[in-house]
Amino acid sequence: MAAVQVSLPLPVLPQGWSEEKDFKPIGQLSSATQRNIEPVGPHFLAHARRKRHHRTFSEDER
Amino acid sequence: MTVVIDGGLAEGEVNAIGISFGNSNSSIAYTTGEGKAEVIANEEGDRQIPSFLSYIEGEEYHGTQAKSQLVRNSNNTVAYFRDYLGQDLDSIDPTPCHASAHPQKHESTVAFSIQDTEPETQNVVTVSEITTRHIRRLASSASDFLGKKVNAAVISVPTNFSEAQREALTKASKAAGVDVLQMISEPTAAVLAYDARPEAEVKDKMIVVADLGGTRSDIAVIASRGGMYSILSTSHDYETAGAQLDQILVDHFAKEFMKKHKTDPRQNAKSLAKLKLEAEATKKALSLGGNASLSVESLADGVDFASTINRTRYELLAGKMFGAFTRLIEDAVKKADLDVLDIDEVILSGGTSHTPRISTNLQRLFPPSTRILSPSTLPTAIDPSSLSARGAAIQASLIQEFEKEDIEQSTHPMVTVTPHLRNAIGVLVVSEDVKKGLFTALVERETAVPCRRAGVFAVPREGGNVIIKVCEGIRDIKITKKEKAKTNGKADSDSDSDDDQEEEDEEVKEKVWKVGTVLAEAAIRDVKKGGKVEVTVNVGVDLGVQITAREVGGKGGVRGNLDKPRSTENGSA
Ligand SMILES: Nc1ncnc2c1ncn2[C@@H]1O[C@H](COP(=O)(O)OP(=O)(O)OP(=O)(O)O)[C@@H](O)[C@H]1O
Ligand SMILES: [Mg+2]
Repeated sequence: MAAVQVSLPLPVLPQGWSEEKDFKPIGQLSSATQRNIEPVGPHFLAHARRKRHHRTFSEDER
Repeated sequence: MTVVIDGGLAEGEVNAIGISFGNSNSSIAYTTGEGKAEVIANEEGDRQIPSFLSYIEGEEYHGTQAKSQLVRNSNNTVAYFRDYLGQDLDSIDPTPCHASAHPQKHESTVAFSIQDTEPETQNVVTVSEITTRHIRRLASSASDFLGKKVNAAVISVPTNFSEAQREALTKASKAAGVDVLQMISEPTAAVLAYDARPEAEVKDKMIVVADLGGTRSDIAVIASRGGMYSILSTSHDYETAGAQLDQILVDHFAKEFMKKHKTDPRQNAKSLAKLKLEAEATKKALSLGGNASLSVESLADGVDFASTINRTRYELLAGKMFGAFTRLIEDAVKKADLDVLDIDEVILSGGTSHTPRISTNLQRLFPPSTRILSPSTLPTAIDPSSLSARGAAIQASLIQEFEKEDIEQSTHPMVTVTPHLRNAIGVLVVSEDVKKGLFTALVERETAVPCRRAGVFAVPREGGNVIIKVCEGIRDIKITKKEKAKTNGKADSDSDSDDDQEEEDEEVKEKVWKVGTVLAEAAIRDVKKGGKVEVTVNVGVDLGVQITAREVGGKGGVRGNLDKPRSTENGSA
């Protein structure tokens, strides 16, 4: 999917912010809900192909 | 009658179409070489083919010809049978068949007693056999049109079609020489029909599909994410549909007739059948024009009847019913735990969706940002009567080359049941303070994982060091009460009776994001003036997250991972 374009600016990095490799992990995602995806359409078929062959997005694009 | 005799199919060749099979009408569609879905007109030129079969002296009539037999040959006319497939008599509603062959019990299924072979010989014909004959006629029309035997199909069915119904339909089609490659749900077919248009972009959006038919209306709320569809809620109503609108016109014209002549045409079965058929035609004409006429030869007591009605009058008579359609849709949105503000698109599907007032009423229910896809609200809307068949045809073209086993595996819950994100994931802009920053969603909630989304962000005017704060976002509906400015002068008895609440304070609802869990922070340093930063969020099947950020056109960048949550809850599938 195309990247969204955001015109409001990212915040300035606070003074003194320092982390190893400039990345600070803080939390984890909330739990997810199990739902059914409709087995229909080209994007689903790509999903099914990846899932059945245990492939990732980038492998699938090759 | 059939032009294609042996089909001209090579050994093992699959020639599949899309079929929409409704209680009232069916449609057949195929995809052109360029992948465009087209609806096929049958020999009579109909694209909406009434799901009717009628028999006169052993001869079978189908579609419009069969439907017109409701007047003189109603006992041998089978209608509105789709929902009876795979059911027993105790679990069906026989009401729609009041004026045609009645459903009766036959072993554990439903059947009709009709003279389908010769006059005076009453045969019991099961609903499965009727379906087989119907599908055979549809496939034969498609074969004639395509010049090649159709031997397979994707068929669209309601979301609440049971396993037993699906099985019965598969068997009945097979008996007609049509192999069901897949059954897909009607609302999904409608979404696919729109998404398959060349100008369509893949976008995350929340969609309501309102399939307003003849004997039932079905609403589905669908999260469309990266071209994949997840149904969040469905509702079904059997009392708010096209038949009720026909009845309003039947009553109207019957009363008008009674004013001049003493007889009530509704008291006589034949008169009523005539009036119903004509009233339906009048109703359809009112979707196009401001006026429509109705004329019935020898309506009752040998008296002809002709009249006209304008749209304003009709909309007044049907006002309550139209309101019921709006409520149905509003309730379905609530059932999905959503607000009308969450809905990006309303797809109006089914024949009754041609009714202008139904869609303009929806424009008032939803905010202006919601696109209402119907003929009277959007010039580029697809004919709502054709959406299910088109979607089915597109799916047929996608899978007809697949091995049976591949289709079965792909539609198996092992593949289709997937974790969906509970909250949106996004980035704060303007301020990194969770109270002041504005949350910008990259991944919407109800997105199935794995998924990947990216955003390109502006930076402060002078460039420099920026912080990327990745958070979960929780959608909230903010209600502010605004005191209504006093309306000038003669307030009360003003025109619009709907606007009673004008007296009260006006409530303004808006969708806002509350920042939930903060997931990570990352820094991108020395962004040049006017530069941009691209942030990519990749969520794995285990809900582990990978975040990457880099200056667009720059080298290097930041990459980091978040562990998966400690426990995964199981929601309703
Ligand atoms: N142009 C129109 N304007 C208004 N109503 C229309 C129009 N065209 C068709 N209809 C109505 O749509 C209904 C049929 O809808 P549709 O063809 O979607 O039926 P279906 O899915 O087979 O129905 P069912 O709900 O019985 O399963 C009928 O009541 C018909 O009168
Ligand atoms: Mg329908």
